[in-house]
Amino acid sequence: MGVINFIIQNILTQASITIALIAMLGLVLQKKSVGQVISGTLKTLLGFQVLSAGSSIIVGSLTYFGKIFKEGFHMQGIIPSIEAINGQAMNELGLGRDIALTFLAIFIFNILIARFTKWKYIFLTGQAILWMATMTTVFGYFSGLRGIALILVGGFVGGVFAVAMPAIAQPFVRKITGSNDIALGHFCTIGYIFEAGVGYLFGEKGEKKKSIEDIKLPTQLEFLQDTYLSVMVVMVPLYIITAAFAGAKFGATLSGGTNYLMYAFLQAIQFVVGVYVLLSGVRMLLGEIVPAFRGIAMRLVPDSIPALDCPVLFPYSPNAVILGFITTTIGSVLAMFILPQFGLAMILPGMLTNFFAGGTAGIFGNLTGGRRGAIIGGILHGFFITLLPALLVTIFNSMGFVNATATDVDTVTAALIYAWLLSPILKAF
Amino acid sequence: MFGFGKKKEKAEQKTATIELSPEQKAELNQVIALKQQELAQAEESLQAVLYEELGLAYEELGETDQAVSALEKSLQLKKSAGRGYKTLLKLYNQKRAAAAKANDGQTLQYYLEKIDQMMQISKDVTRGIK
Repeated sequence: MGVINFIIQNILTQASITIALIAMLGLVLQKKSVGQVISGTLKTLLGFQVLSAGSSIIVGSLTYFGKIFKEGFHMQGIIPSIEAINGQAMNELGLGRDIALTFLAIFIFNILIARFTKWKYIFLTGQAILWMATMTTVFGYFSGLRGIALILVGGFVGGVFAVAMPAIAQPFVRKITGSNDIALGHFCTIGYIFEAGVGYLFGEKGEKKKSIEDIKLPTQLEFLQDTYLSVMVVMVPLYIITAAFAGAKFGATLSGGTNYLMYAFLQAIQFVVGVYVLLSGVRMLLGEIVPAFRGIAMRLVPDSIPALDCPVLFPYSPNAVILGFITTTIGSVLAMFILPQFGLAMILPGMLTNFFAGGTAGIFGNLTGGRRGAIIGGILHGFFITLLPALLVTIFNSMGFVNATATDVDTVTAALIYAWLLSPILKAF
Repeated sequence: MFGFGKKKEKAEQKTATIELSPEQKAELNQVIALKQQELAQAEESLQAVLYEELGLAYEELGETDQAVSALEKSLQLKKSAGRGYKTLLKLYNQKRAAAAKANDGQTLQYYLEKIDQMMQISKDVTRGIK
């Protein structure tokens, strides 16, 4: 009995162990060799610890940024980063084990829905499922759910999103790719549908509709070649300008003997390092789990349609990707200045989301409204994907998150369903 | 409004495979022979395009394994996201579906990994990474 209690109280409460055991289960179900099972399990365990280390680095940098922003601009400046939210939820808030089990539950619900309904989508973007598991767990916890209920509700909500998002995007995807073989599995889909709707309403119609693909544009976004450099290009000026507004006197209270602007520069680099480490951890963590479970999913639902990450659409409309990135960035910058006028926090633009979500949304806007649709739709899309995360800031703050909010709008929508619908219902009883 | 409910119609169109006439087959075989000849003499800078054209001809002819091999060579030589890319992704997905139906876990994983690599190529090409 003592041994069982020890296992339950000291081992299974550790998030890293739970995640490693999930990977182990996947590897055993795939009938891998003993050596492969052991190495895969250990790699997953290591991945979680790397993720935790990345999260600590990000939190340190964000805490500093929060202070100088408040001093410099007398308001809260929030960095949209689903990675930072995931890292903090997994570690600082101690929800790692529940997130890991919800992640597994989302996979299972996805398989069940695809197996027994006519919606045959299997969501293959593992990282996106991890972000969804993070948000359903955090907001389930906020709503008062605990234990198995937290995991099952999160798994169900996430599983429904994993099927519903590819399903609502599919009529567009069919038109873009000309086939029904592949679906879009990216949790920014509500934003894409929003841009498609705006494009349809305000874009060019009929014979006047001119695709952006008919124009010759520079086809490459060379400044975005390196993910981390592109984050750095935004973060360094952001930190230095904010530090300058906060002033030398305040800056020196945080920077010790180092010059306050130099310290701001180094803290910006720290943020990028944190994202780098955290994402390496995520890759390591998912490297064993995702192949195992998606293999199982595809065999259990042999007639499934794979829902793939957003780059699946880029080759069909490369100019629209560039236009979508630019217009979404414009929209997010506008929202950054406009939202605080309505009492919301200032959400700083996230370049990676603008590129991937904005680029894909551009394809949808161009499809329904041609060039004009993509431009107007893109700007409003940028506004939309900044507004939604802004609505979560108060809850994140109350739960102890440091200066960050989520990005991918489908995960934000799931969170809002919890906060606005489930939480009042649960609290009423 | 956006074409909801047209899935069945499209799916039926897709399943109707186009039967090539003997003349068309002969023409495609000629194209293949020509491309192979050109490849033997071509500089490396031109080989990617020739392999892509070769792969597309094989695909049209229904020789999917040879099409996959030629299109893979093309992308190895130069990353691109044109017709060859789209065709290769479609072929990988067909092979993935066949492996799933046959309950062949190993082949299924192989093509899922190939599809992952295609996503990376698409990202790289869009961002201008050579």
